[in-house]
Amino acid sequence: MTRVLILAAALLAASASAQPGPYYPPPPLPPGAPLPGPVLAIPVLQADLKAKAGTDTVRFGRDSYGLTPQSLAVLTAQAQWLIAHPYVRANVEGHADGRQTRAYALALGERRAAAVRNYLIASGVPPQQLDIVSWGKERPATAAAHDATWLQNSRVVISLKQ
Amino acid sequence: MRFRDSAFLLVLASTPAAAQAPSSSAQLVVAVPPLPTPRNVDTEGGQTGVIGIQIAQTIASDLRSSNSIMSIAPDKLPVYSPVQAGAPVYQNWLRTGAGAVVVGYVQARDDGRITVACYLYDIKQRREMSRKGFVVPPGEWRRAAHRCADAFHAGITGMPGHYDTRIAYVAETGTRTAPVKRVAVVNWDGTDHRYLTRGETTVLSPRISPDGERIAYMSFTGGTPHIRVMDSDGENDRPLVQAIGMSFAPAFSPDGRRIAFSLAAEGNTDIFVMNSNGGMPQRLTRTPGVDTAPSFSPDGSKIVFESDRGGIPQLYVMNADGSGQQRISFGGGSYGSPAWSPKGDLIAFTRWSGSALRIGVMSPDGSGERAITSGWQDEGPSWAPDGEFLVFQRTQQGSGLSAVYTVSTAGGEPHRVLLPGSGSDPSWSGASQ
Repeated sequence: MTRVLILAAALLAASASAQPGPYYPPPPLPPGAPLPGPVLAIPVLQADLKAKAGTDTVRFGRDSYGLTPQSLAVLTAQAQWLIAHPYVRANVEGHADGRQTRAYALALGERRAAAVRNYLIASGVPPQQLDIVSWGKERPATAAAHDATWLQNSRVVISLKQ
Repeated sequence: MRFRDSAFLLVLASTPAAAQAPSSSAQLVVAVPPLPTPRNVDTEGGQTGVIGIQIAQTIASDLRSSNSIMSIAPDKLPVYSPVQAGAPVYQNWLRTGAGAVVVGYVQARDDGRITVACYLYDIKQRREMSRKGFVVPPGEWRRAAHRCADAFHAGITGMPGHYDTRIAYVAETGTRTAPVKRVAVVNWDGTDHRYLTRGETTVLSPRISPDGERIAYMSFTGGTPHIRVMDSDGENDRPLVQAIGMSFAPAFSPDGRRIAFSLAAEGNTDIFVMNSNGGMPQRLTRTPGVDTAPSFSPDGSKIVFESDRGGIPQLYVMNADGSGQQRISFGGGSYGSPAWSPKGDLIAFTRWSGSALRIGVMSPDGSGERAITSGWQDEGPSWAPDGEFLVFQRTQQGSGLSAVYTVSTAGGEPHRVLLPGSGSDPSWSGASQ
Protein backbone atom coordinates (compact mmCIF):
# COMPACT_ATOMS: atom_id res chain seq x y z
CA MET A 1 0.00 0.00 0.00
CA THR A 2 2.72 2.41 1.02
CA ARG A 3 4.70 1.55 -2.08
CA VAL A 4 1.67 2.24 -4.27
CA LEU A 5 1.19 5.64 -2.63
CA ILE A 6 4.82 6.56 -3.06
CA LEU A 7 4.65 5.47 -6.69
CA ALA A 8 1.49 7.52 -7.20
CA ALA A 9 3.11 10.50 -5.54
CA ALA A 10 6.17 10.16 -7.77
CA LEU A 11 4.00 9.99 -10.88
CA LEU A 12 2.03 13.04 -9.82
CA ALA A 13 5.21 14.88 -8.94
CA ALA A 14 6.54 14.15 -12.39
CA SER A 15 3.38 15.36 -14.10
CA ALA A 16 3.28 18.49 -11.96
CA SER A 17 6.87 19.44 -12.67
CA ALA A 18 5.75 21.27 -15.79
CA GLN A 19 4.37 23.95 -13.46
CA PRO A 20 7.15 24.55 -10.98
CA GLY A 21 6.08 25.51 -7.51
CA PRO A 22 7.16 25.04 -3.93
CA TYR A 23 4.59 22.30 -3.29
CA TYR A 24 3.50 19.19 -5.12
CA PRO A 25 -0.10 18.08 -5.19
CA PRO A 26 -0.82 15.35 -2.62
CA PRO A 27 -1.24 11.73 -3.63
CA PRO A 28 -4.88 10.82 -4.10
CA LEU A 29 -6.40 8.81 -1.27
CA PRO A 30 -8.98 6.10 -1.76
CA PRO A 31 -12.37 7.55 -0.80
CA GLY A 32 -13.31 6.79 2.77
CA ALA A 33 -9.87 5.52 3.73
CA PRO A 34 -8.60 6.71 7.11
CA LEU A 35 -5.74 9.12 6.82
CA PRO A 36 -2.48 8.01 8.38
CA GLY A 37 -1.79 9.93 11.56
CA PRO A 38 0.78 12.71 11.50
CA VAL A 39 4.24 11.94 12.83
CA LEU A 40 4.65 15.24 14.65
CA ALA A 41 2.50 16.34 17.54
CA ILE A 42 -0.40 18.62 16.66
CA PRO A 43 0.84 21.65 18.65
CA VAL A 44 4.17 21.48 16.77
CA LEU A 45 2.39 21.31 13.44
CA GLN A 46 0.02 24.15 14.43
CA ALA A 47 3.05 26.30 15.32
CA ASP A 48 4.63 25.42 11.97
CA LEU A 49 1.44 26.41 10.11
CA LYS A 50 1.39 29.75 11.94
CA ALA A 51 5.08 30.33 11.18
CA LYS A 52 4.83 29.43 7.49
CA ALA A 53 1.48 31.06 6.72
CA GLY A 54 1.95 33.97 9.09
CA THR A 55 -1.20 33.12 11.03
CA ASP A 56 -3.80 30.39 11.47
CA THR A 57 -6.60 32.96 11.56
CA VAL A 58 -8.50 35.18 9.14
CA ARG A 59 -10.83 37.97 10.26
CA PHE A 60 -14.17 39.30 9.05
CA GLY A 61 -16.19 42.48 9.13
CA ARG A 62 -19.40 42.68 11.11
CA ASP A 63 -21.88 39.96 10.11
CA SER A 64 -19.82 39.49 6.93
CA TYR A 65 -18.46 36.27 5.49
CA GLY A 66 -16.62 37.91 2.61
CA LEU A 67 -12.89 37.25 2.29
CA THR A 68 -10.72 40.37 2.18
CA PRO A 69 -7.59 40.62 -0.02
CA GLN A 70 -5.46 40.16 3.11
CA SER A 71 -7.48 37.07 3.99
CA LEU A 72 -6.95 35.63 0.51
CA ALA A 73 -3.17 36.06 0.83
CA VAL A 74 -3.20 34.32 4.21
CA LEU A 75 -5.46 31.53 2.96
CA THR A 76 -3.25 30.92 -0.08
CA ALA A 77 -0.29 30.41 2.24
CA GLN A 78 -2.37 28.18 4.55
CA ALA A 79 -3.51 26.14 1.53
CA GLN A 80 0.09 25.58 0.48
CA TRP A 81 0.96 24.38 3.98
CA LEU A 82 -2.02 22.00 4.04
CA ILE A 83 -1.17 20.67 0.58
CA ALA A 84 2.37 20.01 1.79
CA HIS A 85 1.01 18.16 4.83
CA PRO A 86 -1.66 15.95 3.27
CA TYR A 87 -1.89 13.65 6.28
CA VAL A 88 -2.79 16.47 8.68
CA ARG A 89 -6.51 17.09 8.96
CA ALA A 90 -7.92 20.41 10.03
CA ASN A 91 -11.08 21.83 11.52
CA VAL A 92 -12.07 25.06 9.82
CA GLU A 93 -13.52 26.79 12.90
CA GLY A 94 -15.93 29.66 12.29
CA HIS A 95 -16.64 32.23 15.01
CA ALA A 96 -19.07 35.14 15.37
CA ASP A 97 -18.38 38.17 17.53
CA GLY A 98 -21.21 38.13 20.07
CA ARG A 99 -23.37 40.89 18.58
CA GLN A 100 -26.00 38.45 17.32
CA THR A 101 -28.41 35.93 18.77
CA ARG A 102 -26.96 32.52 19.59
CA ALA A 103 -28.52 30.69 16.64
CA TYR A 104 -27.60 33.41 14.15
CA ALA A 105 -24.02 33.38 15.46
CA LEU A 106 -23.84 29.62 14.82
CA ALA A 107 -25.15 30.08 11.27
CA LEU A 108 -22.76 32.98 10.64
CA GLY A 109 -19.78 30.96 11.95
CA GLU A 110 -20.73 28.12 9.60
CA ARG A 111 -21.01 30.54 6.69
CA ARG A 112 -17.56 31.97 7.38
CA ALA A 113 -16.02 28.52 7.80
CA ALA A 114 -17.66 27.36 4.56
CA ALA A 115 -16.28 30.40 2.71
CA VAL A 116 -12.76 29.63 3.98
CA ARG A 117 -13.05 25.90 3.29
CA ASN A 118 -14.29 26.55 -0.25
CA TYR A 119 -11.35 28.86 -0.92
CA LEU A 120 -8.86 26.34 0.48
CA ILE A 121 -10.38 23.59 -1.71
CA ALA A 122 -10.25 25.86 -4.74
CA SER A 123 -6.59 26.40 -3.88
CA GLY A 124 -5.95 22.66 -4.12
CA VAL A 125 -6.52 21.31 -0.61
CA PRO A 126 -8.35 17.96 -0.76
CA PRO A 127 -11.90 18.37 0.61
CA GLN A 128 -11.57 15.35 2.90
CA GLN A 129 -8.71 17.09 4.71
CA LEU A 130 -11.02 19.87 5.95
CA ASP A 131 -13.97 19.68 8.35
CA ILE A 132 -16.19 22.57 9.34
CA VAL A 133 -17.04 23.45 12.93
CA SER A 134 -19.00 26.57 13.81
CA TRP A 135 -18.51 27.77 17.38
CA GLY A 136 -20.93 30.64 16.96
CA LYS A 137 -20.21 33.08 19.79
CA GLU A 138 -19.31 30.35 22.30
CA ARG A 139 -15.50 30.66 22.04
CA PRO A 140 -14.51 34.33 21.98
CA ALA A 141 -10.84 35.07 21.30
CA THR A 142 -10.66 37.60 24.12
CA ALA A 143 -11.62 37.21 27.77
CA ALA A 144 -13.11 40.71 27.97
CA ALA A 145 -16.50 41.61 26.50
CA HIS A 146 -16.83 45.14 25.14
CA ASP A 147 -16.88 47.07 21.87
CA ALA A 148 -13.12 46.84 21.25
CA THR A 149 -13.20 43.03 21.21
CA TRP A 150 -15.66 42.41 18.41
CA LEU A 151 -13.28 42.43 15.47
CA GLN A 152 -10.92 39.97 17.16
CA ASN A 153 -13.81 37.57 17.71
CA SER A 154 -15.11 37.64 14.10
CA ARG A 155 -12.76 35.01 12.72
CA VAL A 156 -12.02 31.64 11.21
CA VAL A 157 -9.21 29.55 12.69
CA ILE A 158 -7.51 26.63 10.95
CA SER A 159 -7.21 24.17 13.81
CA LEU A 160 -5.15 21.06 13.04
CA LYS A 161 -6.27 17.75 14.49
CA GLN A 162 -5.37 14.06 14.57
CA MET B 1 -67.07 30.49 31.84
CA ARG B 2 -63.77 31.89 32.94
CA PHE B 3 -63.73 33.61 36.26
CA ARG B 4 -62.35 36.89 35.06
CA ASP B 5 -65.08 37.15 32.48
CA SER B 6 -67.55 37.94 35.26
CA ALA B 7 -67.16 41.68 35.46
CA PHE B 8 -68.87 42.06 38.82
CA LEU B 9 -66.24 39.86 40.45
CA LEU B 10 -63.39 42.04 39.37
CA VAL B 11 -62.09 44.52 41.87
CA LEU B 12 -60.24 47.51 40.55
CA ALA B 13 -56.76 48.04 41.90
CA SER B 14 -57.80 51.39 43.34
CA THR B 15 -60.05 49.78 45.95
CA PRO B 16 -58.61 49.43 49.48
CA ALA B 17 -58.35 45.62 49.37
CA ALA B 18 -55.98 45.82 46.43
CA ALA B 19 -54.17 49.02 47.27
CA GLN B 20 -50.75 47.39 46.84
CA ALA B 21 -51.46 46.10 43.35
CA PRO B 22 -48.57 46.86 40.99
CA SER B 23 -50.71 47.86 38.03
CA SER B 24 -53.97 49.66 37.48
CA SER B 25 -55.57 46.89 35.42
CA ALA B 26 -58.46 44.87 36.81
CA GLN B 27 -57.36 42.04 39.06
CA LEU B 28 -59.19 39.32 40.93
CA VAL B 29 -58.65 39.50 44.69
CA VAL B 30 -58.12 36.06 46.25
CA ALA B 31 -58.21 35.56 50.04
CA VAL B 32 -55.82 32.84 51.24
CA PRO B 33 -56.51 32.13 54.94
CA PRO B 34 -54.39 29.52 56.78
CA LEU B 35 -55.26 25.93 55.91
CA PRO B 36 -56.63 24.35 59.13
CA THR B 37 -55.73 20.89 60.40
CA PRO B 38 -58.21 18.51 62.09
CA ARG B 39 -55.56 17.58 64.69
CA ASN B 40 -52.23 19.32 65.16
CA VAL B 41 -49.68 16.52 64.71
CA ASP B 42 -45.88 16.63 64.79
CA THR B 43 -44.42 15.37 61.52
CA GLU B 44 -40.90 15.34 60.11
CA GLY B 45 -41.91 18.46 58.17
CA GLY B 46 -43.15 20.25 61.31
CA GLN B 47 -46.57 20.49 62.94
CA THR B 48 -49.48 20.10 60.53
CA GLY B 49 -50.94 23.38 61.82
CA VAL B 50 -47.73 25.20 60.93
CA ILE B 51 -47.57 23.49 57.52
CA GLY B 52 -51.13 24.73 56.89
CA ILE B 53 -50.02 28.32 57.49
CA GLN B 54 -46.91 27.89 55.33
CA ILE B 55 -48.90 26.40 52.46
CA ALA B 56 -51.34 29.33 52.58
CA GLN B 57 -48.42 31.79 52.62
CA THR B 58 -46.85 30.05 49.63
CA ILE B 59 -50.10 30.05 47.63
CA ALA B 60 -50.71 33.73 48.46
CA SER B 61 -47.15 34.64 47.47
CA ASP B 62 -47.36 32.65 44.22
CA LEU B 63 -50.69 34.14 43.17
CA ARG B 64 -49.55 37.68 44.05
CA SER B 65 -46.85 37.50 41.36
CA SER B 66 -49.48 37.07 38.63
CA ASN B 67 -50.52 40.11 36.63
CA SER B 68 -54.20 39.15 36.89
CA ILE B 69 -54.45 38.23 40.57
CA MET B 70 -54.14 40.11 43.87
CA SER B 71 -53.92 37.93 46.97
CA ILE B 72 -54.66 38.61 50.64
CA ALA B 73 -52.09 36.87 52.88
CA PRO B 74 -53.10 34.46 55.68
CA ASP B 75 -51.94 36.76 58.52
CA LYS B 76 -54.63 39.29 57.52
CA LEU B 77 -57.45 36.77 57.48
CA PRO B 78 -59.57 34.84 60.00
CA VAL B 79 -59.14 31.14 60.65
CA TYR B 80 -61.88 28.58 60.04
CA SER B 81 -62.54 24.97 60.92
CA PRO B 82 -61.57 22.09 58.61
CA VAL B 83 -65.24 21.26 58.19
CA GLN B 84 -65.65 24.44 56.16
CA ALA B 85 -63.10 23.27 53.57
CA GLY B 86 -65.84 21.61 51.55
CA ALA B 87 -68.56 24.12 52.49
CA PRO B 88 -67.19 27.63 52.98
CA VAL B 89 -69.29 30.21 54.87
CA TYR B 90 -69.42 32.66 51.98
CA GLN B 91 -70.70 35.68 53.90
CA ASN B 92 -67.62 35.55 56.17
CA TRP B 93 -65.33 35.89 53.15
CA LEU B 94 -67.44 38.58 51.45
CA ARG B 95 -66.33 40.99 54.23
CA THR B 96 -62.68 40.63 53.23
CA GLY B 97 -63.41 42.30 49.92
CA ALA B 98 -62.16 39.27 48.04
CA GLY B 99 -63.80 37.78 44.96
CA ALA B 100 -62.50 34.28 45.65
CA VAL B 101 -61.21 32.33 48.63
CA VAL B 102 -58.76 29.44 48.98
CA VAL B 103 -59.72 26.88 51.59
CA GLY B 104 -58.59 23.34 52.40
CA TYR B 105 -56.87 21.36 55.09
CA VAL B 106 -53.67 19.55 56.09
CA GLN B 107 -54.07 16.18 57.75
CA ALA B 108 -51.45 13.76 59.10
CA ARG B 109 -51.78 10.16 57.93
CA ASP B 110 -50.87 6.95 59.73
CA ASP B 111 -48.16 6.19 57.15
CA GLY B 112 -46.20 9.33 58.07
CA ARG B 113 -47.29 11.31 55.01
CA ILE B 114 -49.76 14.19 54.96
CA THR B 115 -52.87 14.91 52.94
CA VAL B 116 -53.00 18.41 51.46
CA ALA B 117 -56.35 19.49 50.04
CA CYS B 118 -56.99 22.90 48.51
CA TYR B 119 -60.08 24.41 46.91
CA LEU B 120 -60.77 27.70 45.18
CA TYR B 121 -64.27 29.13 45.61
CA ASP B 122 -66.01 31.95 43.79
CA ILE B 123 -67.47 33.93 46.73
CA LYS B 124 -70.16 35.85 44.84
CA GLN B 125 -71.36 32.96 42.71
CA ARG B 126 -70.93 30.52 45.59
CA ARG B 127 -69.34 27.80 43.53
CA GLU B 128 -66.13 25.79 43.39
CA MET B 129 -63.71 26.89 40.67
CA SER B 130 -60.80 24.51 41.10
CA ARG B 131 -59.47 21.90 43.49
CA LYS B 132 -56.32 19.85 44.10
CA GLY B 133 -55.41 17.10 46.54
CA PHE B 134 -52.07 15.47 47.32
CA VAL B 135 -50.68 12.83 49.63
CA VAL B 136 -47.01 13.74 50.10
CA PRO B 137 -44.17 13.34 52.58
CA PRO B 138 -44.48 16.25 55.04
CA GLY B 139 -41.20 17.77 53.76
CA GLU B 140 -42.72 18.22 50.28
CA TRP B 141 -45.57 20.49 51.31
CA ARG B 142 -44.10 23.38 49.34
CA ARG B 143 -44.42 21.63 46.01
CA ALA B 144 -48.04 20.71 46.85
CA ALA B 145 -48.66 24.41 47.57
CA HIS B 146 -47.12 25.45 44.22
CA ARG B 147 -49.29 22.94 42.37
CA CYS B 148 -52.41 24.24 44.14
CA ALA B 149 -51.45 27.75 43.03
CA ASP B 150 -50.86 26.50 39.44
CA ALA B 151 -54.35 25.00 39.34
CA PHE B 152 -55.93 28.15 40.82
CA HIS B 153 -54.12 30.33 38.28
CA ALA B 154 -55.59 28.13 35.54
CA GLY B 155 -59.05 28.41 37.10
CA ILE B 156 -58.83 32.20 37.19
CA THR B 157 -56.98 33.14 34.00
CA GLY B 158 -57.39 30.08 31.79
CA MET B 159 -53.59 29.59 31.72
CA PRO B 160 -51.73 27.42 34.25
CA GLY B 161 -49.31 29.14 36.63
CA HIS B 162 -45.54 28.76 36.61
CA TYR B 163 -45.20 27.99 40.32
CA ASP B 164 -44.26 24.31 39.89
CA THR B 165 -42.06 24.68 36.81
CA ARG B 166 -38.42 24.21 35.95
CA ILE B 167 -35.90 26.13 33.91
CA ALA B 168 -33.33 24.30 31.79
CA TYR B 169 -30.21 26.33 31.05
CA VAL B 170 -26.48 26.09 30.32
CA ALA B 171 -24.36 26.30 33.48
CA GLU B 172 -21.05 27.98 32.68
CA THR B 173 -17.73 27.64 34.51
CA GLY B 174 -14.11 27.97 33.44
CA THR B 175 -12.94 31.01 31.49
CA ARG B 176 -14.74 32.97 28.81
CA THR B 177 -12.30 31.85 26.10
CA ALA B 178 -12.37 28.21 27.27
CA PRO B 179 -15.71 27.77 29.03
CA VAL B 180 -17.09 24.56 30.49
CA LYS B 181 -20.80 24.27 29.68
CA ARG B 182 -23.26 21.84 31.21
CA VAL B 183 -26.97 21.36 30.76
CA ALA B 184 -28.64 21.98 34.12
CA VAL B 185 -32.22 22.09 35.37
CA VAL B 186 -33.49 24.12 38.31
CA ASN B 187 -36.89 25.02 39.75
CA TRP B 188 -37.92 28.51 38.61
CA ASP B 189 -37.38 29.80 42.18
CA GLY B 190 -33.77 28.52 42.24
CA THR B 191 -34.36 25.36 44.30
CA ASP B 192 -33.49 21.75 43.40
CA HIS B 193 -30.57 22.46 41.03
CA ARG B 194 -29.24 19.50 39.01
CA TYR B 195 -26.55 19.08 36.34
CA LEU B 196 -27.52 16.76 33.49
CA THR B 197 -24.28 16.68 31.46
CA ARG B 198 -20.73 16.46 32.75
CA GLY B 199 -19.05 19.33 30.94
CA GLU B 200 -16.57 17.31 28.88
CA THR B 201 -18.18 18.68 25.72
CA THR B 202 -19.76 22.03 24.93
CA VAL B 203 -23.57 22.08 25.01
CA LEU B 204 -26.11 24.75 24.02
CA SER B 205 -29.83 25.49 23.84
CA PRO B 206 -31.50 22.95 26.16
CA ARG B 207 -35.25 22.84 25.51
CA ILE B 208 -37.69 20.93 27.76
CA SER B 209 -40.41 18.91 26.00
CA PRO B 210 -43.97 20.09 26.79
CA ASP B 211 -44.61 17.04 29.00
CA GLY B 212 -41.34 17.62 30.85
CA GLU B 213 -40.04 14.12 30.04
CA ARG B 214 -37.26 14.95 27.56
CA ILE B 215 -34.68 17.63 26.85
CA ALA B 216 -33.43 18.48 23.36
CA TYR B 217 -30.11 20.31 23.18
CA MET B 218 -27.13 20.94 20.93
CA SER B 219 -23.84 19.18 21.59
CA PHE B 220 -20.33 19.56 20.15
CA THR B 221 -19.48 15.95 20.93
CA GLY B 222 -17.96 13.72 18.25
CA GLY B 223 -17.34 15.69 15.07
CA THR B 224 -20.10 17.83 13.60
CA PRO B 225 -22.11 19.65 16.30
CA HIS B 226 -25.65 18.30 16.40
CA ILE B 227 -28.93 18.14 18.30
CA ARG B 228 -29.35 15.39 20.86
CA VAL B 229 -32.33 14.31 22.96
CA MET B 230 -32.14 12.89 26.48
CA ASP B 231 -34.61 12.03 29.21
CA SER B 232 -35.12 14.81 31.74
CA ASP B 233 -32.92 12.96 34.27
CA GLY B 234 -30.02 12.94 31.77
CA GLU B 235 -30.40 9.25 30.84
CA ASN B 236 -30.98 7.73 27.41
CA ASP B 237 -28.98 10.39 25.58
CA ARG B 238 -29.00 9.98 21.78
CA PRO B 239 -28.60 12.07 18.60
CA LEU B 240 -31.84 13.40 17.10
CA VAL B 241 -30.63 13.29 13.52
CA GLN B 242 -27.57 12.09 11.65
CA ALA B 243 -26.98 14.80 9.10
CA ILE B 244 -24.13 15.97 6.92
CA GLY B 245 -24.23 19.47 8.35
CA MET B 246 -24.54 21.07 11.76
CA SER B 247 -28.01 20.81 13.35
CA PHE B 248 -28.97 23.35 16.00
CA ALA B 249 -31.72 25.58 17.49
CA PRO B 250 -34.21 22.80 18.43
CA ALA B 251 -37.84 23.65 19.25
CA PHE B 252 -40.52 21.17 20.37
CA SER B 253 -44.00 21.40 18.89
CA PRO B 254 -46.69 22.03 21.54
CA ASP B 255 -47.70 18.34 21.48
CA GLY B 256 -44.06 17.27 21.79
CA ARG B 257 -44.26 15.03 18.72
CA ARG B 258 -42.15 17.16 16.38
CA ILE B 259 -38.93 19.12 16.67
CA ALA B 260 -38.20 22.03 14.34
CA PHE B 261 -34.52 22.91 13.98
CA SER B 262 -31.87 24.44 11.75
CA LEU B 263 -29.41 22.59 9.57
CA ALA B 264 -26.32 24.36 8.26
CA ALA B 265 -24.25 23.02 5.37
CA GLU B 266 -22.13 24.64 2.66
CA GLY B 267 -22.68 28.06 4.19
CA ASN B 268 -26.47 27.83 4.01
CA THR B 269 -28.83 27.41 7.00
CA ASP B 270 -32.43 26.25 6.60
CA ILE B 271 -35.24 25.11 8.90
CA PHE B 272 -36.39 21.48 9.00
CA VAL B 273 -38.95 19.61 11.06
CA MET B 274 -38.98 15.95 12.07
CA ASN B 275 -40.53 13.47 14.48
CA SER B 276 -39.03 14.07 17.92
CA ASN B 277 -38.31 10.32 18.20
CA GLY B 278 -36.34 10.25 14.95
CA GLY B 279 -37.09 9.80 11.27
CA MET B 280 -36.59 11.79 8.12
CA PRO B 281 -36.34 15.57 8.39
CA GLN B 282 -38.73 17.56 6.23
CA ARG B 283 -37.38 20.79 4.76
CA LEU B 284 -39.42 23.94 5.48
CA THR B 285 -37.29 26.78 4.08
CA ARG B 286 -35.20 27.01 0.91
CA THR B 287 -33.63 30.44 0.84
CA PRO B 288 -29.89 30.93 0.30
CA GLY B 289 -29.84 33.00 3.50
CA VAL B 290 -29.86 32.00 7.15
CA ASP B 291 -33.21 30.65 8.38
CA THR B 292 -33.04 29.67 12.04
CA ALA B 293 -34.48 29.87 15.59
CA PRO B 294 -37.92 28.34 14.88
CA SER B 295 -40.71 28.51 17.50
CA PHE B 296 -44.17 26.93 17.19
CA SER B 297 -47.46 28.74 17.80
CA PRO B 298 -49.39 27.18 20.74
CA ASP B 299 -51.78 25.33 18.37
CA GLY B 300 -48.82 23.96 16.39
CA SER B 301 -50.10 25.33 13.09
CA LYS B 302 -47.50 28.07 12.57
CA ILE B 303 -43.80 28.68 13.11
CA VAL B 304 -42.10 32.01 13.75
CA PHE B 305 -38.41 32.14 12.83
CA GLU B 306 -35.41 34.36 12.17
CA SER B 307 -34.13 34.93 8.63
CA ASP B 308 -31.66 37.25 6.89
CA ARG B 309 -33.14 36.60 3.42
CA GLY B 310 -33.92 40.32 3.26
CA GLY B 311 -30.30 41.30 4.05
CA ILE B 312 -30.42 41.56 7.84
CA PRO B 313 -32.02 39.19 10.36
CA GLN B 314 -35.77 39.78 10.80
CA LEU B 315 -38.75 37.77 12.03
CA TYR B 316 -40.93 35.71 9.69
CA VAL B 317 -44.00 33.53 10.21
CA MET B 318 -44.88 30.47 8.13
CA ASN B 319 -47.37 27.62 8.29
CA ALA B 320 -45.96 24.52 9.99
CA ASP B 321 -45.59 22.83 6.58
CA GLY B 322 -43.38 25.67 5.34
CA SER B 323 -46.01 27.43 3.19
CA GLY B 324 -47.04 31.08 3.46
CA GLN B 325 -43.74 32.58 4.63
CA GLN B 326 -44.25 36.20 5.58
CA ARG B 327 -42.11 38.85 7.23
CA ILE B 328 -43.58 40.37 10.41
CA SER B 329 -40.83 42.64 11.85
CA PHE B 330 -39.85 45.86 10.11
CA GLY B 331 -38.03 47.91 12.73
CA GLY B 332 -34.45 49.15 12.51
CA GLY B 333 -31.59 46.86 13.53
CA SER B 334 -31.96 43.10 13.63
CA TYR B 335 -34.49 40.72 15.16
CA GLY B 336 -33.98 37.12 16.24
CA SER B 337 -34.66 34.23 18.65
CA PRO B 338 -38.45 34.60 18.53
CA ALA B 339 -40.65 32.73 21.03
CA TRP B 340 -44.41 32.38 20.52
CA SER B 341 -46.31 32.84 23.78
CA PRO B 342 -48.41 29.93 25.14
CA LYS B 343 -51.46 32.22 24.99
CA GLY B 344 -50.74 32.87 21.33
CA ASP B 345 -51.16 36.62 21.71
CA LEU B 346 -47.49 37.69 21.63
CA ILE B 347 -44.12 36.86 20.15
CA ALA B 348 -41.10 37.64 22.32
CA PHE B 349 -37.81 38.27 20.54
CA THR B 350 -34.29 39.66 20.77
CA ARG B 351 -33.72 42.93 18.93
CA TRP B 352 -30.21 44.21 18.42
CA SER B 353 -28.24 47.10 17.00
CA GLY B 354 -24.72 48.26 17.78
CA SER B 355 -23.58 46.08 20.68
CA ALA B 356 -26.93 46.09 22.48
CA LEU B 357 -29.31 43.13 22.55
CA ARG B 358 -32.74 43.69 24.14
CA ILE B 359 -35.89 41.64 24.71
CA GLY B 360 -39.18 42.87 23.26
CA VAL B 361 -42.63 41.56 22.38
CA MET B 362 -44.98 42.10 19.45
CA SER B 363 -48.25 40.64 18.18
CA PRO B 364 -47.95 37.72 15.75
CA ASP B 365 -48.90 40.13 12.94
CA GLY B 366 -45.97 42.37 13.88
CA SER B 367 -48.03 45.16 15.44
CA GLY B 368 -47.76 46.59 18.96
CA GLU B 369 -44.02 46.15 19.41
CA ARG B 370 -42.65 47.20 22.80
CA ALA B 371 -39.38 46.74 24.67
CA ILE B 372 -39.28 44.60 27.82
CA THR B 373 -35.64 44.83 28.99
CA SER B 374 -32.83 47.36 28.84
CA GLY B 375 -29.64 45.49 29.78
CA TRP B 376 -26.38 45.61 27.82
CA GLN B 377 -27.03 42.25 26.18
CA ASP B 378 -30.36 40.58 26.97
CA GLU B 379 -31.30 37.71 24.67
CA GLY B 380 -33.05 34.40 24.09
CA PRO B 381 -36.51 34.86 25.69
CA SER B 382 -38.55 31.78 26.66
CA TRP B 383 -42.12 31.93 27.99
CA ALA B 384 -43.49 30.65 31.29
CA PRO B 385 -46.62 28.50 30.79
CA ASP B 386 -48.79 31.36 32.10
CA GLY B 387 -47.83 33.56 29.15
CA GLU B 388 -47.09 36.39 31.60
CA PHE B 389 -43.40 35.88 32.36
CA LEU B 390 -40.24 35.43 30.32
CA VAL B 391 -36.89 33.92 31.22
CA PHE B 392 -33.84 35.23 29.37
CA GLN B 393 -30.04 35.53 29.41
CA ARG B 394 -28.35 38.78 30.50
CA THR B 395 -24.64 39.29 29.78
CA GLN B 396 -22.53 41.84 31.65
CA GLN B 397 -20.38 44.26 29.70
CA GLY B 398 -16.69 43.84 30.54
CA SER B 399 -16.67 40.47 32.30
CA GLY B 400 -18.85 38.86 29.64
CA LEU B 401 -20.43 36.78 32.40
CA SER B 402 -24.04 35.87 31.87
CA ALA B 403 -26.91 35.15 34.24
CA VAL B 404 -30.51 34.01 33.96
CA TYR B 405 -33.34 36.45 34.69
CA THR B 406 -37.13 36.34 34.72
CA VAL B 407 -39.32 39.34 33.91
CA SER B 408 -43.04 40.09 33.70
CA THR B 409 -44.19 41.27 30.27
CA ALA B 410 -46.52 43.68 32.12
CA GLY B 411 -43.46 45.65 33.24
CA GLY B 412 -41.16 45.84 36.22
CA GLU B 413 -37.56 44.95 36.95
CA PRO B 414 -36.16 41.56 35.94
CA HIS B 415 -35.36 39.14 38.78
CA ARG B 416 -32.16 37.12 38.74
CA VAL B 417 -32.67 33.38 39.14
CA LEU B 418 -30.38 32.15 41.91
CA LEU B 419 -27.90 29.72 40.34
CA PRO B 420 -24.60 28.21 41.56
CA GLY B 421 -22.65 30.11 38.88
CA SER B 422 -22.99 31.77 35.49
CA GLY B 423 -25.85 30.67 33.28
CA SER B 424 -27.02 31.16 29.69
CA ASP B 425 -29.58 30.04 27.13
CA PRO B 426 -32.51 29.32 29.50
CA SER B 427 -35.84 27.75 28.57
CA TRP B 428 -38.93 27.48 30.72
CA SER B 429 -40.73 24.15 31.09
CA GLY B 430 -44.44 23.66 30.53
CA ALA B 431 -46.91 23.64 33.40
CA SER B 432 -47.06 20.87 36.00
CA GLN B 433 -49.40 18.10 34.89
